[in-house]
Amino acid sequence: MKTKTNKRFIVAFFFLIVLLNTANCQLPTDGNIFSPQNRLQFGNFLYKDRDYLRAAEEFKEYLKNESNDTIVFRLANSYFKIGRFAEAADNFKGLFFGSQFSEETRLLFYESIFFQNDYKSLRKLAEGKIYSSSKYANEIERLKYTSYFLDNSVLPDENIVLKYFPDSVQSQMINFYQQKKIPQHKSLTTAAILSTLMPGAGKIYTGEIGDGITSFIATALTTYLAITNFNADHQFRGWLFSGLAAFFYAGNIYGSASSAQIYNAKIQFNFDKEVKLFFEQRNYFLPKIDY
Amino acid sequence: MKIRFTIIFFLYAFIFSIKAQDHLSIQLDYANNLFNSRQYYDAITEYKRLQFFDSTKTFNYEINYKIGECYKAGTKYDDAIKYFSFAELSARNEDEYCDSKTQIVRTNILRRTTDRALQLCDKLEKDQRFNGKSDQINYWRGWAFIFADNWENAAKSFDKINSNHELKKLAERTDKAKVSVTFAKVISYILPGSGAIYSGKFLSGLMSLGWNLLSGYWTVNSFIEDRVFDGVVAAELVWLRFYRGAVQNAEEFAIEKNLDVSNKSLHYLQNEYKGIKP
Repeated sequence: MKTKTNKRFIVAFFFLIVLLNTANCQLPTDGNIFSPQNRLQFGNFLYKDRDYLRAAEEFKEYLKNESNDTIVFRLANSYFKIGRFAEAADNFKGLFFGSQFSEETRLLFYESIFFQNDYKSLRKLAEGKIYSSSKYANEIERLKYTSYFLDNSVLPDENIVLKYFPDSVQSQMINFYQQKKIPQHKSLTTAAILSTLMPGAGKIYTGEIGDGITSFIATALTTYLAITNFNADHQFRGWLFSGLAAFFYAGNIYGSASSAQIYNAKIQFNFDKEVKLFFEQRNYFLPKIDY
Repeated sequence: MKIRFTIIFFLYAFIFSIKAQDHLSIQLDYANNLFNSRQYYDAITEYKRLQFFDSTKTFNYEINYKIGECYKAGTKYDDAIKYFSFAELSARNEDEYCDSKTQIVRTNILRRTTDRALQLCDKLEKDQRFNGKSDQINYWRGWAFIFADNWENAAKSFDKINSNHELKKLAERTDKAKVSVTFAKVISYILPGSGAIYSGKFLSGLMSLGWNLLSGYWTVNSFIEDRVFDGVVAAELVWLRFYRGAVQNAEEFAIEKNLDVSNKSLHYLQNEYKGIKP
C-alpha cells in the first residue's frame, strides 16, 4: 500500500515538475514565432511600445493572411504616427464602409490630408462632402477652416470661420483673423518715395531708425563734400564725392524698398509661427482617437 | 501500461520544453546573423521579437546589449544608452555589468556628452566592481577628452595606463602641434601679420604686413604734408581696414590650424589606429 502511494507521489511530483518546466519554457502556442497570430501579438506589443514602424510591418504581414478591422486601423495609425500620411490615408480609406471605425477613420483620413499640408485637396474634399462623417462633421469643418490660416488662401467670412472654434479661444481667433485679413505690412512704394524725398525717411518708416539716420548723414555729407570741392575748384574730388553721393542716394532708395520687403516677410514669418504654435499646442482641436 | 503512458508523457513534455528553448536559440542565431551582416534595423526587430517571446528571460542581457549595439551602430545614441542601461539591470555577473557600463560610457563619448562620460568614469572608479579595471577607465576617459578636443588631458589619462602608450604620444604630438589663438591675436595687434605667420600662413602674413606698412606710410605722409582730410580717409578706410583684417585673420588662421591638427589626429584614429575605439 505504502509503495503504491509513494509511486503515485513520485509520478505526481514529476508530472508537476514537467508541467512547470513546460509552462516556464512557454513558446508561442503553435511553436512558430512568425505565425500570423504571433506576429499580431508581437505587433500589438510594438504598437503599445510606440515602435510604430516595426509594428506596421508586423501588422502588414498579419493582414496578408487574416482580416481584422482593428489591425487595419492600427496599421494606418502607425503610419500616421510616423508621419507617413499618404500611406495612413490609404489605409484609413479601407475602413470607410462596413466597419465599426467608419466615422473615426474618416476624420483621421482628413487629418492625414491636412498633415500632408495638402490644404487645397482637404478643402475640396470637405466642401464636396466626400467621405464626410456625421459624428465628426464639426471637427472636419474646423480642420478645413484651420487650413486657411496656414496657407495663402483668401479667408472666408469671419462669422463662418470662427463659429467652429471653441468660445475660450474666440478672441485669439479674431485677432488671427484680422492679422491674416489685413496684415500690418509696409508699402514698398511708400518706403521708396519717402526715401526719394528725404534720404533715410523710407528706412525710418519701416522701423530701421538707426539705418535711416546713417543713410541721411552719409548722403548729406558726401553731397556737402562734393559741393565744397567743386567750389574750391577740386574737380576730381568734386566728381568723386558726387559719384559717392549719387551711389548713397540710389542705394538708400533701393535699401528702403528692400527694408519694407524684409519687414513684411518678418511680419508674415512671425504670424505663421504664432498661428502654428497656437494650433499645435491645442492639437488642432482634434480629439484623441486610438484603438 | 500506466507506467508506459507516464514515460511517454514525460518524454513528450521534456522534448517540448527543449524544443521551445531550441526555437529561441534559433531566433537568437537569426538575429545575430542580421547583426553580423550589419542589417541593424532588422536585427533590432528580431531581437525584440525574441525578447517578447522569451518569457523565461534567458537571453534578456544578450538581447538588450545587442539592441544597444545596433542603435549605437545606427547613431541612435539615446536609444543605445537606454538599452545598455536595460542590459546593466539584467546583468547576471560582474563582467556583464562592467561591459554594459563601459558601453554607456563609450556611447556618451560618441554622443559628445563628454561631461556625462567623464562623470561616469569617475563613478566607475569608485565602484568596487571595477576594481582592477582602472586602465580601462583611464582609456575611455582619454577618449572622452579626445572627442572634447582636449588633447592635453587626454595625454594625461593615457599616461596613467602606460607612459609609452601609443595614444598618449599621439595626444601629446597633437597638443604640441596646436597654436594659441590668443597669442596669435595679441602678436598681430603688436605687429600686423605676425599672427598669421605664427599660424603657418607665411605669404598671407607677409602680405598683411606689407599692406599695413604701405597704408601706414600713406597716412603718416598725408599728415606730415598737412593733408589732414587725406590722412583721416587713408587711416579710416585703408590702414584701419588692413590692421583689423590682420588681427581677424590671425584668429581665423589659428583656429583653422588647430582644427586641421585635430582632424589629422582623428583621421589617424579612425583609419589607422588598431586599438578599441568608442
